[in-house]
Amino acid sequence: MSAFLLSVGWRSVLASLALAGVVVACAKTERPRVPAADRDDYDTPIVVAAPAERIVSLNPTSTEILFALGAGSRLVGRSRWDNWPAAARAVPDVGDAMRPSVEQILAVRPTLVVLYASGDNRDAAAALQAAGIRVVALKIDRIADFTRGVLMLGRLSGTDIAARIIVDSVGRSLARVRDAMRNTQRPTVFIHVWDNPLMAIGGGSFLSELVEIAGAKNVYADLSDPSAQVSFEDLLRRAPDAILAGPDAAARLSAEPRWRALGAVRNGKLLTYDTSLVARPSVRLGEAARSLAALFHPERAIP
Amino acid sequence: MTASRLWVVLVAVLLAACVMALMAGAVSIPPAEVWGALIRGDGDPTTLAIVRVVRLPRVVLGALVGAALGVSGAVLQGALRNALAEPYLLGVSGGAAVGAVLAVAGGVVAPALIALSAFGGALLAVGAVLTLAHAAGERGDARVLLMAGVVVGAFANAAIMVVMATASPDTTRNALWWMMGSVAAAGWRDVILLGSVLTLVGGALLHRARQLDVLALGGESAESLGVDVARSGTVFFVLASLLAAATVAAAGLVGFVGLMVPHFARALTGGRHRVVLVAAALVGAALVVGADVVARTSRAPAELPLGAVTALVGVPFFLWRLRRVL
Repeated sequence: MSAFLLSVGWRSVLASLALAGVVVACAKTERPRVPAADRDDYDTPIVVAAPAERIVSLNPTSTEILFALGAGSRLVGRSRWDNWPAAARAVPDVGDAMRPSVEQILAVRPTLVVLYASGDNRDAAAALQAAGIRVVALKIDRIADFTRGVLMLGRLSGTDIAARIIVDSVGRSLARVRDAMRNTQRPTVFIHVWDNPLMAIGGGSFLSELVEIAGAKNVYADLSDPSAQVSFEDLLRRAPDAILAGPDAAARLSAEPRWRALGAVRNGKLLTYDTSLVARPSVRLGEAARSLAALFHPERAIP
Repeated sequence: MTASRLWVVLVAVLLAACVMALMAGAVSIPPAEVWGALIRGDGDPTTLAIVRVVRLPRVVLGALVGAALGVSGAVLQGALRNALAEPYLLGVSGGAAVGAVLAVAGGVVAPALIALSAFGGALLAVGAVLTLAHAAGERGDARVLLMAGVVVGAFANAAIMVVMATASPDTTRNALWWMMGSVAAAGWRDVILLGSVLTLVGGALLHRARQLDVLALGGESAESLGVDVARSGTVFFVLASLLAAATVAAAGLVGFVGLMVPHFARALTGGRHRVVLVAAALVGAALVVGADVVARTSRAPAELPLGAVTALVGVPFFLWRLRRVL
């Protein structure tokens, strides 16, 4: 009998995990993103107060932005995934970015904590707020999110001017690439995330926007999520002109027989991009767009 | 239903499931074009690729996974004389999952290496179950074997949770997906590997099917008929586990097939194991191929995990069946 019960337990765990996946997937597609300048991604209002002097940032993107703003010296904690720029490694590691250790964060006595705005970080946010600490939750998927995040972090850390300079300079370098690629033939591109399950970058990601700026078209731009699971069949039908993948993935895919069924792979259009440059939205977005444009349109010069 | 009629029906159901699986998919292609691409190899290159490179190996692999799990379950239920026995309950799934999760967490991305690690994990777990059962109880006691399987499975579960809790979100997603089972990435290499294992082990099992009939009579009766119950029980256990471990390496964890299919096979054919095993293979194959159609069409272009579909479809069906038996 106990054998039976335990087996049911194992099975129901798997089933509920699967269901959870479905529910999460459905919830994600319904999420309307209307970025408000004065609210974070848990919809908490941002109140301007004295600049934060002791900051914990638990997200590689926000950590990178804070360094770019010149507020890196005020960081007293980061997550274990934040390792860029090199100076970030000198900041004390306070553990995970998802479901972080509230205790470890409290131990470094921050006045501001920047969290990744995922559902499972809400408990930590509430606990930190109860301890009297300002919490800002950010989810930076698109270029507009990045711009808003930079301005928000600039206001909170008293580096408004640096923030505006960054936003302006990123915007201008993106515009330069966009202008240079304006009248090109736009190849359709599949942006690879993972092979099994097969996942693509969807229209909700900055990477999709970068590809469009760089004179190409994301073949899955119609999917509103930043990344989404797709079927190989559907990919074959959409028949992209090129495939964009990181160096490791590209080596793996070119060796797999079924990927050779894609014209892009047979025609040598399995393009390798610099994952460290294009990994997340950052002050180097312009540089990233430029490197992608050079992949799609090597013949075109960008002023 | 006469015996020959039954086989005609079973084969027809399997063929129907396969044809449906070839026709349906994330992309809708007119049946005539699918047929042309499949049989004559004509049509536009995209259709050809979808039918021959994606769907065909996927359908064949699904059928093999279902057949292997069905046979594995039928053998275990017969040898252990327990209608709740199934390969996953006896440590195979837990061990395989630990192997795969450790590989994924360790940064392995090549599917073949993850599969190998899962296979190794499954064999280790089966070895542990056998050792534990031998140390704890009488040789060949089915209840002790089941208990050992459950204990090893629980340990594996805990190990997975520890690894997942400390892994990065990407790792967790990949490992989870793997544990939910899928034939989405099926290639001919998987088909050939699993096909060979099924042919070899399935052949060996059919050859020994008479012994299963004797074992099913119970310990003393079997001994009186000259069968070494403990020894042949262990042999069946190892062969069935090998089959299940091979399916896990090819498609991850596809739940419930090994438990449910033997019940149908027995109900359809009666008790003789040579017949039950073949029926279980056919029913299992049709079930998994059918479930895979649901998995890849219900939320296209995304997919549902196959293991979840087999359980969601299988459990109500099984309960209905149970009510009729009781």
